This record gives sequence, structure tokens and C-alpha cells, in this order.
Amino acid sequence: MKKTLLIALALLVWAPSLFANKLKVVTTYPYIASIASQIGGDRIKVDFLARGDYDPHTIIPKPSFIARLRKADLLIINGAQMEIGWLPSLLRQSANPAVNPGNPGFLDLSHSVKLIDVPKSVSREQGDIHPDGNPHYYLDPYNIPPIARSILAKLSALDSHNAAYYRSRHDEFARIWGAKSAEWERKFASLKGKRVIEYHKNFDYILRRHGIILAGTIEPLPGIPPTSKHIEMLEGTIAAGRISLILQDVYNADDAARHLSKKFGIPMVKLPHDVGAVPPAEGIISLFDEIVRRLGQ
Amino acid sequence: MKKLFFFIAAAAILVSPPLRGENGGTPADNEAGESVGSPFNQSKFVPDISLILDASYVYRNTRDGEYEKLHTPAITLVPAEEERHGHEEPFLRNGFNFNYAEITFFSIVDPYLELFAVCHLAEDHFGLEEAYFTTRSLPFGFQLRAGKFLSGFGRLNEQHAHYWDFADQTLIYNAFFGEEGLGEVGARLTWVAPTDFYLMAGAEILRGSNARSFGNGKILNVDGTTIKDGSNGPNLGVGYLKTSFDIGELTVLAGASGAFGKSRINHGLDRAGKSGTAFMGDTYVLGGDITLKYMMDSVRFVSLQAEYLYRHMEGDFHSNDASDVMTRSGMMKRQSGLYAQMVAKFSRRWRCGARYDLLQMNRVEESGVEADLPENMPRYSGMLEYNPTEFSRFRVQYNFDASRYGTETGAYEKKTNHEVIVQANLAIGAHGAHSF
Repeated sequence: MKKTLLIALALLVWAPSLFANKLKVVTTYPYIASIASQIGGDRIKVDFLARGDYDPHTIIPKPSFIARLRKADLLIINGAQMEIGWLPSLLRQSANPAVNPGNPGFLDLSHSVKLIDVPKSVSREQGDIHPDGNPHYYLDPYNIPPIARSILAKLSALDSHNAAYYRSRHDEFARIWGAKSAEWERKFASLKGKRVIEYHKNFDYILRRHGIILAGTIEPLPGIPPTSKHIEMLEGTIAAGRISLILQDVYNADDAARHLSKKFGIPMVKLPHDVGAVPPAEGIISLFDEIVRRLGQ
Repeated sequence: MKKLFFFIAAAAILVSPPLRGENGGTPADNEAGESVGSPFNQSKFVPDISLILDASYVYRNTRDGEYEKLHTPAITLVPAEEERHGHEEPFLRNGFNFNYAEITFFSIVDPYLELFAVCHLAEDHFGLEEAYFTTRSLPFGFQLRAGKFLSGFGRLNEQHAHYWDFADQTLIYNAFFGEEGLGEVGARLTWVAPTDFYLMAGAEILRGSNARSFGNGKILNVDGTTIKDGSNGPNLGVGYLKTSFDIGELTVLAGASGAFGKSRINHGLDRAGKSGTAFMGDTYVLGGDITLKYMMDSVRFVSLQAEYLYRHMEGDFHSNDASDVMTRSGMMKRQSGLYAQMVAKFSRRWRCGARYDLLQMNRVEESGVEADLPENMPRYSGMLEYNPTEFSRFRVQYNFDASRYGTETGAYEKKTNHEVIVQANLAIGAHGAHSF
């Protein structure tokens, strides 16, 4: 009751500025900003913190991020502990209660989808492990619609004046997405049953949905750079059964992937993991277009 | 020792519920919804806990017994005296050093407050380094903090030792605030401006019990009579302004700070039959800092960081010789120093760095007569770090230290020290935040 009163009071104080200004949305990663602007259009102002071509787990928390969080009306995060190493202290320092977890101006997208690989037990013996499951859930076209619906619901709740506008933009986005997904699916389906190697478990959601087999990872454990012993073991795996592709991200060193690609004549594909990871991936749609294009090469 | 026992017992009680939960299964784990464990199980409310361990092996070309007699004139005391004034770990000894184990607790108290505590454990004592609450619901970018905390003065002061880029405290922070920095009981108000770039202002009112520059105790004569009363309430005010902006992948962070307080620094004035001194007066410390950090890619960066500090002390100086003859004079100290460091992270696991420390100005006037003291005392350091993961760090550091003097011949005699420090720093438990 007290909380509702407080929120009502805050809304009264802030209402004029809310109507006068666009809703200020800050997202941790660029892909979220891209989806949010698909729905919010020109009625919201979207800004993201991390660069799309950097390792999403180890973003350096710049003080300028605090300034952006300070003024935000809504913070949208990937969640599933991907931001655990860099966001909490920034959020604390930004002194903006509106975007704290639990308040209306906070949205954790990992709650919109079902996470895979939730570990039964957790120990750092297993490397940089994510207790809530694999956090790269957005790298699967099927998980984008529920994310978009969560963002629509949040924008409409915070800015009910523009709810109809957000709804129509969302529906248009969902329509395009449906058509695009069908197109992408044909490509993924052609990879069914193929065996691939990944550097980090970035693309497991796509692999699993389309029956693509992950034969091994170049990093021995999440966040641990490859050792010669591990690469030797991986070479054994490659020798034992045919591998079709080696999937490499843009931010980790690719020397091990190059070595394996050269030695066994397996194509190495560098896949963007976020909007902005490579120049053609400018938005959420072109990100998947680019992933599919690179897989087809 | 008793304190330590109670502390461990309390920690054990806090930690034990999840252990029980793991064996017996928590009610949430039971799909039928039947409560397997206690219906009053509170394990979900256990705060974030982490333990940090720091140990080192030190080689120094000076024997410990010799090193114990060295100090920086008019700035630090010889280690034996430091120990008497509450600096528990006055210096790294040759051979193995168990530096500390730090236990951190953090949790949200309720919708309005959060609580953070850091307990500092050494082999034979227990200390509360920080324990404070911070508001989480004040509007307009304000935050209030109260309890015991590290002051936001400068760039380095708020950083715990395990965040440091080098194994030891800078000379200038050690000179003005001590090895552990300015940690005080008090309250702080900070404000983050609603600007496009980062702008933050902070004001603190503190007890002011820092043994190096401030102090709030009563100062007594040898016969037990009072020379100067202790302070009746807070006696230290700190203010700072920090700003930061990005130019492409270059981030600039700059700050200006000031600490203004009363000093009661007693170095055994009331010890009968022994010499001692005490200073009582007004002190202020001013500081300016700048950090430049350039990201080359997702992993590699180069950073430059420098701070300059200036201290002004003015008041009465009392001294007492071995035959208890007390003298009193007016004293003014003007001292300054700086450090400048460069750190490069050149791969996921490796970092290296170089640091230059300087205690620059050292002017002390007693009754208007300037003392003949050494100035411009430098230290040069280099380090190489291997970080297997973000939870473990091994560091080798070399120091060429020309800031310590002996007084055996009656005059100040410079003794340069070569030090090699091999340090291990490990963290378990809750994930700590990466620092900028």
C-alpha cells in the first residue's frame, strides 16, 4: 500500500516531464536496444551500454554508464547473470531507484524465455558458470517474439498514452519476424544432424532447436582460454567423426579455430553474437540475416 | 581473539542453512510442494558472501631488523612506533606474509536500504574495515550512506587492497592516511547530476580518528592533566567532485577532493620517563586525480592514472624528553606528493604496470624555524600479473624504494631498498564487481 502510494506520488511529480519527454530506455546490450526501438519507434529514446563487438561477459564499467543509468526511465537487461560482473555496481552508483530490480522501470528479459543447460550443481571448478542456465538465449529467432512481447508490455505499462502505437509497431515487427524466421529456418534445417565445434556456447539454442550436434568447444571451460592439451583432445574428436563447421565469435582469439580449420580443412565461420559485432549486423533482423549468410558461405 | 570466535560462530550460522538445504532439498526444490526441510528455512535470505585471501613472499635487500629502524622523516614513524599507534601490519617482512583474509557481506535490507560489511581478518586479530548502509530510494540522484566506510576522497582511497594495481599502498596515501586509507565512522551524501557526462559530488562528515592526519583523542600531560580535550563530535569534513566522459574508446575520469579537520596526534607524550610528542591543530588535505583508460579491444587496454595530494597542518607541537621536560612550540607542516602509474592488460590473463611514487614537498616549521628535512623521496615499481580467472591473481612486483631514512648517526641517512614481492590474491563466493 505504502509502495503504491509512493509510486503514485512519484508519478504525480514526474507526470509532466513524462508527457513532455520521450521515455528514456537504457539497455545493457545493443540487440535489446534494437528490439526496443522496433517497438518504441520515435516515441522512446533508446541507448545501450556495452559495445556489440566486445565480450558480453566482461564489459568494463565506465563511469559514463552511470550518467546514462541516472537519467533512465527504463532499464532492460539480458539477465541470466550475463551482466553480473559489471552492472550491479553501476546501478548502485547511478542512484536512480526507478530502474532498480523490483521497480516498474526494470525489465529482465531472461524471465521471458525458458533457459537451457541450467546446472544441477554449481562450482567455479566448471569455469565461469552461469547458475541460471545459458544466457545467450536471444541468439535464437524463436526467442525474439517473447522478448518483444515483454518489452511491449513494459513500454505500454510505463507509457500508457502510447500503448496503441507500441502495439501496432510490435504487431508489424512480429509479422516481419515471422516471415524472416521461416526463411532462416530453411537454412538452419539444412544443417540438421551436422556436427559443429564452437568456441564458447553462444549458439546452443539454435543448435539444439535444429538438431545440430555440438561436438566440442574450443575453450575447455566457460571463460578459460584453450590449452594445448585441450586442443589435442579436440583434434581427437575431429579425427573420430566428421565436423562440418567451426563457429568462432568476434571477440575471442581465433588462432585455435584457425589452426583446427587449416589442419582438418573444416571451414571456420565467424558469427556475430550481437548487433554491432560486425558491420552488416546493424539491427536485430540484419544480425540474423548475417548469421545465416555466413553459415551459408 | 574472543571477538574472532564469535565472528566465526556467527558466520557459521549464516552459512549453514544452504548447506543443509543442499543435502535435504529446499522446499522450493520439491515439485509436490511438500516442505521437506524446515518450514521456517531462511536460506534464500542469506546475503552475498565472499572471502578474499591475500598472501605474499617478500625479498628485501635490507634485513628486517635494520628495516625496522627506518622511517620517512616528518611523515612516517619507525615500524615499532607505528605498531604502538594502531597500525597492525607496519610492513611486509622478508619471507612469507599472510596479509589478510577479507570477508564481505552484502544484501538489500528492505526496499529502502542496503547493507555492506567488510571484515578484515589477520592471523591474530579481527577488524571491521567497513560496515555501512546506503539508501536505495532517495530521489533526484541523491544517496545517503552511514556507518564505517572508506571515504570517497581521491581515486584510490575507496578501493580495497585487492582492487589495487600494485601489491602495496602508494607512498602518498600511506603518508597522509595510512596503509588502509581514510576509513572513518560517519555519514556521506552523494549526488549524481542528471547530465550527459558523469558528474558526481559528495560530502562527508566523519569522526576524524585517522592516526596520520587527524585524530580526535584527548591529549594528556605526563602527570595525567589534560593538555587538550578530545573532540566532542565529528571533526573531519570531506568533499569531492568527480567527472568522467568518453572520447571514442578513451575514457577520462578526473576528480578534486578536500579533507578538512582537526588533528590530535599523540606519539606517546604522556609516557613518563620516555620521550614523546604530540601535535594538536588544524589540518587539511587537498587532492587532484586523473585516469585515462584506452580500450584497444574487448580484452586489451592501457590506463594511465595519477594523483597529487597536498597537506597543510598548523597548530601546537608538544614534546617531552626522557627527563619529562615538556616544551611547546607552534608548528606548520606543508607536505605534498604524487603517484603516476601505467597499467596495460595485453591479453586475457596478463597485465603489467609501472608506477612512480614521490614524496615531494616536506617543509616543517617549528616556532618559525624551518627544519632541515629531506624532500623529493621517490619509489619506482614495476609489476607483472597473471590472472588465471577473474577469481585468482598472481603478481610479481619490484620496488626500488628511496623514501626511507635511518637516524643512527644523528643525521638523516638515506637507505635505498630493493624489494621483490610475489603475491597471491584469491576470491571465493559471490561475484565481485569489476572496477573501472
